[in-house]
Amino acid sequence: MTQYAQTLALLKANLKRDWLKMTIWLVVLAGMFVAVAAKFEGIYGTPKQISTIAETLKSQAMVSLFGPMTTAHLNTAIIFASEMMVFWGIFMVIFNFSLSVGATRGQEESGLTEMVLGGHPVGRLAPLAAAGLELVIANGAFVIVTGAGMMVANMPGSDGNGNWLFAVTLGAVGLSFGLISLIFAQLVADSHNVAIYNYAFFGITYLVRMMTDVSNPDYTWFSPFGWIEKADIYTKNNWLPVGLLLMLGVVGFAAAVILNGNRDIDTGIIQVRGGKRTSRFLRGSGTLLFWNQKAISLFWIVGMAVLGASYGSVFNSISKIVNDSPVVRQVLGQSGVRHLEQNQILSFVGILGVIFSVLAVVGGAMVINHLYTEERRGYLQMINTKPESRSKLLATYMVYGFVLSVIILFVALMAAMGAGNSVLKHPLAFKYFWRLFIAMLPTLALFTGILVALIGIMPKWRAVVWIALGGAFVISYFGRLIDLPAWAMKLSPFYWFRKVPLAHIDVAPVTWMLGIAFVMIVIGFIGYNHRDIES
Amino acid sequence: MNDELVLETKNLKKSFGKFQALRNVNLQLHKGEVLGFIGPNGAGKSTTIRVILGLIKATGGSATVFGKDVWKDSVAIHKNLSYVPGDVYLWPNLTGGQTIDLLLHMSGQKHTARTDQLIKEFKLDTSKKNRTYSKGNRQKVALVAAFSTDVSLYIFDEPTSGLDPLNEVIFQQHVAELKKAGKSVLLSSHILSEVEKMCDTIAIIREGNVIEAGSLESMQHLTRNTVAVRTKKPLDELQKAGGVYQLKFNDASKTTAEFSVDSDQIGNVMDLLSAKTIVQLKTTPPTLEDLFLRYYQSADEQKGGD
Repeated sequence: MTQYAQTLALLKANLKRDWLKMTIWLVVLAGMFVAVAAKFEGIYGTPKQISTIAETLKSQAMVSLFGPMTTAHLNTAIIFASEMMVFWGIFMVIFNFSLSVGATRGQEESGLTEMVLGGHPVGRLAPLAAAGLELVIANGAFVIVTGAGMMVANMPGSDGNGNWLFAVTLGAVGLSFGLISLIFAQLVADSHNVAIYNYAFFGITYLVRMMTDVSNPDYTWFSPFGWIEKADIYTKNNWLPVGLLLMLGVVGFAAAVILNGNRDIDTGIIQVRGGKRTSRFLRGSGTLLFWNQKAISLFWIVGMAVLGASYGSVFNSISKIVNDSPVVRQVLGQSGVRHLEQNQILSFVGILGVIFSVLAVVGGAMVINHLYTEERRGYLQMINTKPESRSKLLATYMVYGFVLSVIILFVALMAAMGAGNSVLKHPLAFKYFWRLFIAMLPTLALFTGILVALIGIMPKWRAVVWIALGGAFVISYFGRLIDLPAWAMKLSPFYWFRKVPLAHIDVAPVTWMLGIAFVMIVIGFIGYNHRDIES
Repeated sequence: MNDELVLETKNLKKSFGKFQALRNVNLQLHKGEVLGFIGPNGAGKSTTIRVILGLIKATGGSATVFGKDVWKDSVAIHKNLSYVPGDVYLWPNLTGGQTIDLLLHMSGQKHTARTDQLIKEFKLDTSKKNRTYSKGNRQKVALVAAFSTDVSLYIFDEPTSGLDPLNEVIFQQHVAELKKAGKSVLLSSHILSEVEKMCDTIAIIREGNVIEAGSLESMQHLTRNTVAVRTKKPLDELQKAGGVYQLKFNDASKTTAEFSVDSDQIGNVMDLLSAKTIVQLKTTPPTLEDLFLRYYQSADEQKGGD
């Protein structure tokens, strides 16, 4: 056990460092969850409301986004469970990834682990164990707050067993993915790459869940992320997925322990190879940025193509009209049915446009954020003393980030179109996808502008862009389902193009969004040219 | 050396919030000169350099390089300047060789035979990724790039803190070469022997103030020589002599003594010693170390021997 000496002391230090981050996440995640639950009876309380939303949730589009509805006897609580499980599972995974990377590679990179292990009587495995315990505490806290909150919310159709199972399942999926992330933290030597491995793993489990849900839900058992749907909250209340997730987490932790024993500090299991002794390619900040970002940019483009294609491959099931009785068919006629089907896919494509745009902004914003990361890590101190202006440096990162996000969006839409048209009898025209693509560009520019302004004048607050983006996403993706008031919906830039690609693009929001973006960018450049460079 | 000013700061001030990092920094570096910039950690050496490089903006005073304002004309100044930071951080995914070429390209320079020569001298394996380099090796990458860059002004911020003694010597040789070629060098350090060997002029910074600046000789003039002497007659009178400090007799008859003496009093003291018939005499000029310690501890110094 000497290997684990001082684990608790490290855990205390970790918690001291992360308490604010954890508190904010927990307040938002558990708080919003319970708040939605408490409000839910007002939205879906009457049988009529329930049957309306059930119709929506049974469509394949919704199944691909939220998972299948498995029971016919619906009530408020069941609707809540099927809307929230997958959605909140995603947030739990992101939260745990962020904690886990910070407590493992992030800490090792900063040199803290070396100091602690080398100079103090701390066990070799103590940092890893402390990271694991931190995840247990974070998810445990979520379970307690959420479970208790759900008991208080007391939705019609809910019961104690279901409430607690719901909370525990979400905690378990977070913990499980967080512990799996510890494996990746042993494999590669920097937090950036750990994050890539994390999200690649999560992406695969998510895609498997989505594709099996619309084809054959039995196969969803193949995806650890799909297990959360199998808990069948408020219907069968199945605790097996919780057991599976916890087992997976334990296996992940054990594997990380073994891998940790086989590596030196500051290195990964995957060895870093040498490279070329000279370079003709690297000539300035632009080529340098390309060189440093090329792998992750490719990862984004390929990943988004896969995501787009997976959504596209379910277009044929989405086009099926839920209520396609012979009478309806007769009334509408063949062309009428086809028209209705096409409209149904196109509105689904509109939702995809929002999802792809959010991810595209994330991909591009990560590049622009790197300007500040590199500044703080001291990488830029020698670039900044070369004959190249700060404006050019900022412009390089901004243009690269924006162009990357545009490419990501385009590739995802094209992949969705390609895969979709291969399964549809009546292909969708390119113009719809093109229109959607154009409609999303002002939004990409807007978020780019916000981030550039933050990096220019107050880089410590750059996380505001994630809050803005997350807010816009939740409002658009979720606002209608929880019946948000119109003024709140209007806060999201996506609201203004919600009818695209079925309808044409409004010129007014394009104009003012680009205007705001432009002003933000100008503010950012002025600020960046006038502030101190940190190191 | 000539009178052409390459770098000048006047009453330079810099505050971070309430903390005054630089209170009053006055520096002058002439063409062909090596200026040693010394002071303990946290005295403001790096902050001064970062102002000179245009990375941070001064809150008061002025700083010019090549007669241009360091903040407004930073891009023009950087065309003719090369900088090696104290803590070198490099992009983890580039090799050392790629980094050197990038830095050269960005300064409008080329990878020449001289670059290869430098790589060989510093014994740097340029095929390794930066993430696998130690601190010293990262410093070598920056030094190779700087020394093979042909510019007028070189700024080194504690450049040898990670180097072993052999590489330190190579560094010193190259600084000497730069000087011979008429280049100007600003070298910040807290390794006094290094500065003593290489620098023409020295500026001492303490708590954000440059408290002394000038050539080593002129500073030595201001301070004390150490004297070890043996005479035939007792040296009791030394105890009352002006300008004598830290007097210590090494025998009971008081004919063997060690003491330090103010430079401007040395004539009087020598007269006194001669009167006692000198048998053996050794005087040592103060080292930079002595100067340094004197400036930092002068407040509570007392006259020795009594």
